[in-house]
This record gives sequence, C-alpha cells and structure tokens, in this order.
Amino acid sequence: MAGMFSAVRRIYLTVYNWTLFFGWIQVFYLAVSTLWNSGHESVYAAVEKPLILAQSAALLEILHSLAGIVRSPVTATLPQVASRLYVTWGILYSFPEIRTHFFVSSLVISWSITEIIRYSFFGLKEAFGSAPSWLLWLRYSTFLMLYPTGITSEVGLIYYALPYLKESGDKFSIRMPNRWNFSFDYYCNAVLVLGFYVPGSPHLYGYMLEQRKKALAKAKTA
Amino acid sequence: MKVSVVTRSGRELVKGGLELTDTATVADLQEAIHKKTKKYYPSRQRLTLPLPSGSKERPTVLNYKKSLKEYTEGNELTVVFKDLGTQVNYSTLFFFEYLGPLILYPIFYYFPVYKIFGYKGERVIYPVQTYAMYYWCFHYFKRIMETFFVHRFSHATSPLSNVFRNCAYYWTFGAWIAYYVNHPLYTPVSDLQMKIGFAFGALCQVSNFYCHILLRNLRKSDGGGYQIPRGFLFNIVTCANYTTEIYQWLGFNIATQTVAGIVFMVVAAAIMTNWALAKHRRLKKLFDGKDGRPKYPRRWVILPPFL
Repeated sequence: MAGMFSAVRRIYLTVYNWTLFFGWIQVFYLAVSTLWNSGHESVYAAVEKPLILAQSAALLEILHSLAGIVRSPVTATLPQVASRLYVTWGILYSFPEIRTHFFVSSLVISWSITEIIRYSFFGLKEAFGSAPSWLLWLRYSTFLMLYPTGITSEVGLIYYALPYLKESGDKFSIRMPNRWNFSFDYYCNAVLVLGFYVPGSPHLYGYMLEQRKKALAKAKTA
Repeated sequence: MKVSVVTRSGRELVKGGLELTDTATVADLQEAIHKKTKKYYPSRQRLTLPLPSGSKERPTVLNYKKSLKEYTEGNELTVVFKDLGTQVNYSTLFFFEYLGPLILYPIFYYFPVYKIFGYKGERVIYPVQTYAMYYWCFHYFKRIMETFFVHRFSHATSPLSNVFRNCAYYWTFGAWIAYYVNHPLYTPVSDLQMKIGFAFGALCQVSNFYCHILLRNLRKSDGGGYQIPRGFLFNIVTCANYTTEIYQWLGFNIATQTVAGIVFMVVAAAIMTNWALAKHRRLKKLFDGKDGRPKYPRRWVILPPFL
C-alpha cells in the first residue's frame, strides 16, 4: 500500500513538474521573442495566457506542502506563491494600464528562467531519483541574481500601478457603512503588501542562501 | 564533581570545565556558569544531557531544582549548553502586550483620529460604542491586574523577541478593532442584541477571573508540577480559562459586530486551542490511572460543545 502510494506520488509529481516546465518554456520563449521583435510594450499580451496558467498552477504547490508530498514547508511556499499570484492576478491582470511597463519583461524573464531550472531539476529528481550536479548548482545559484531582478520587478510594478489603483476608486474595495462594520481598501492593501516586501525579501533571500549552503555541501560529500 | 560544559557545536564553553561539590544542584551549576561566562545568567541557559550523535530523540533538559547526582552515575558529567537569548520576566511581557490595547483603544474613542483618515464633520457616538470602550478597557485592565496579582507562571522568563512578536500581535489587532468600533460610519446592532452580547461577555469575564483564581490555588498547594484542575467550570472543561476568554470575546462581538473583532476572536481561539490540546494531552498522559496515579476524568478540551 505504501509502495503504491509512493509510486503514484512520484508519477504525479513528475507529470506536474514537467508540465510546468513546458509551460514556463513557452512563457520564456514568447517573452524573449516578443521583446526582441516588437519591444517590451507587447510582452504582456504575448505571454498572458501561459503566464496566468503556469503561475496559477503553483497554487497546487501549497497543497503539495500541506499534504506533505513535498518537503518544503508551507510557511516557505505560501508567501512566495501568494506574492506572485498577487502580481499576476491582482496587478497585471486587473490593471491593464501597467502592462506596457518595462518591468513586465524583466519580471517574466526572471520568473521563467527560475522556474525552468526549478521544474526541470525536480522533474528529473522525481523521475530518476537524482539530477545532474550542474543543474543542482544552477537551481541553487541562479536565484542570487534572479531573486533581486524578480523582486525589483514585482515591487516596481506594484509601485507604478498605485496611481491606477487609486484612480479606479471602488474597484475591489468595500466601504463603510455596512452591517458588519468592515472596510477594505485595495490601494491601502497594495501599500501594505509593499511594506511586507521590506522584511520579506531579505528573509526569503537568506532562506535560499541557507538552502544553497545545505544543498551544495550535501552534493560535495555525496 | 567535574562538569564539562559544551555548546551544541561541541566547543567547550568553560575552558577546563567546572569543579563542583558532590551535593551541588543544577542551579549551583548554572550559577557557576554565570560566574565564569559573565554573560549567561541562569534563566538564559538551557542545559541538556548530550545525545549520542545522529540520535533524533529529544534531549533531557536539566531541572534546576534537582541535584547533579541524579544525572550521572559516576563523578563526571557533560552537559550541553544552549543560549536562550536575552530573557524578560513573564509579567513584563504580559504587561507590555496588554498595555498597548488599553491605551490605543480609548485614543480612537476620545480623539479626533478619523479627521486624519479624511472624515469630516461631527461624530455621533452611539451608546454601544461607549459601553464597548469601557468593556474593552476593563478587560485589559483586568488582565494586567491578574498578571501582577493572580497568575503564577510555570516559567519565570521568556525570550525578549517574544515581547516584540506579542506586542505586534496585540497592538495591531487592538488598533484595528478600535478603528472599526469607533468609526464615524459605524452601524450599531439592535438594542436587545447589544444587551445580550455585553451581559454574556461580562458574565464570561467574571467566570474567567474565577478560573484564574482556581488555577492560582492549584499551584499554591504544591510547589509546582501538574495537577488535575478542579472546581467550577474546570469540572467540565480542561482549559475553562480559555473557554471563558473566547466566549467573552464572543459577547463583545455579538454586541459590536465587526469583522475585525471576529477575526481576532478566531485567531485567538485557534492559538488557545493549540495550547489546550497540548495541555489536555499532557494531563491525560500524566494521570493515566496506573500505579496509583489518578485517572484524568473525561472532559471537553476547550470549546464545549464542539471540542
């Protein structure tokens, strides 16, 4: 029974990782070719569908963590996935005015390179039990540069979208008075999210540095 | 007796080890470590027995009241030292976390803070808002008084970092709830609902106070250790002190009806449920009815009639 479960788990995770790998390959290809051929203003329109699909699929990763079929703790997965979903759905999808910004290109390229490496790494690991050491090195090294570019793009897009959020007035907002005495301001929420990036980004970077140390040390002794 | 003190990385903390009398207690050892290191006063120290390498078991923590003899067969002992960081008294921690809500809430009631948020014109204050302010302040005043005059803490100190974490939690929630209950566009509930809410809440607060007195007396009769809580609501629920605390917030929320207050209640209930489950499990394990030990009676854990 246990063997059966672990086999299903492995097949499922292999399929999941490789599907997402191809999704992000498509995002990367579309982003780079559009950037090259027509400029950064058209990048979002070109990548929209595969980007939204691939990024939303990452919701499953929270479930994987919760179900315990992957080792990463949900406290590490949740903020990463949530912040990206916020940028894709809450900012880019909801406020078209921001889509032509240059940061969309740097965002999509940073995300897609990271994810192509990550999903192929875990895809190989789930399928064959191990991944080549150069891929392991890439998995735990590219973030050194791609985290800063990715996070800068995320923060930049939220920041530059703020005026559009304000202009939109009541979009996604709840105003007093109401029976349940509650209000929600989408603009203030975005400012709060920006605030969370201040302690959040160095924390995440530190966490990844630690993972890098552990993973590379393990590879050396193995 | 010769005691060597090592850190978790295996480094020797006190060079050459310590020489103590054969009747020395763990507390004496802690004092000796403090004297040598200057920096690590006893409550900062966590001393454990070393584990064989690779073992995944939890190490035995040395009890400061016990004699060192109890931890070794021979005349030598190795202990593993962990620095718990700067420590503060539990009463200090509690005082500061409750002081925030006690001060912040009335600011929203008395001062024209909503002008800053762009609400102009005179604010009409409903009776429910006035009662809520007194109810809230009484609650936190009670908690501060209990901290100093009722509670007996099983641990004397807590790490300093907990002060920042807990203050952030209490102060933010306090301000968030105060903002909505005192809002100029606040919508009050019916007069009857308000009365039911506050009456039920006040009853729970009084019961909560009585629960705390009972817990205090439980600790007084014995110099520490665990006992089966008895009397009043404890005959039905293991953690009646949490039950009354949660239901007291329910009363406040019935009367004031804000999403912020309900979110706070749910979060608080979740945290207390974790503690209650741990305590219930501990008591059941301790009082298993074997070898002359009493058997822990069947009781709700925290939230009758659900859990």
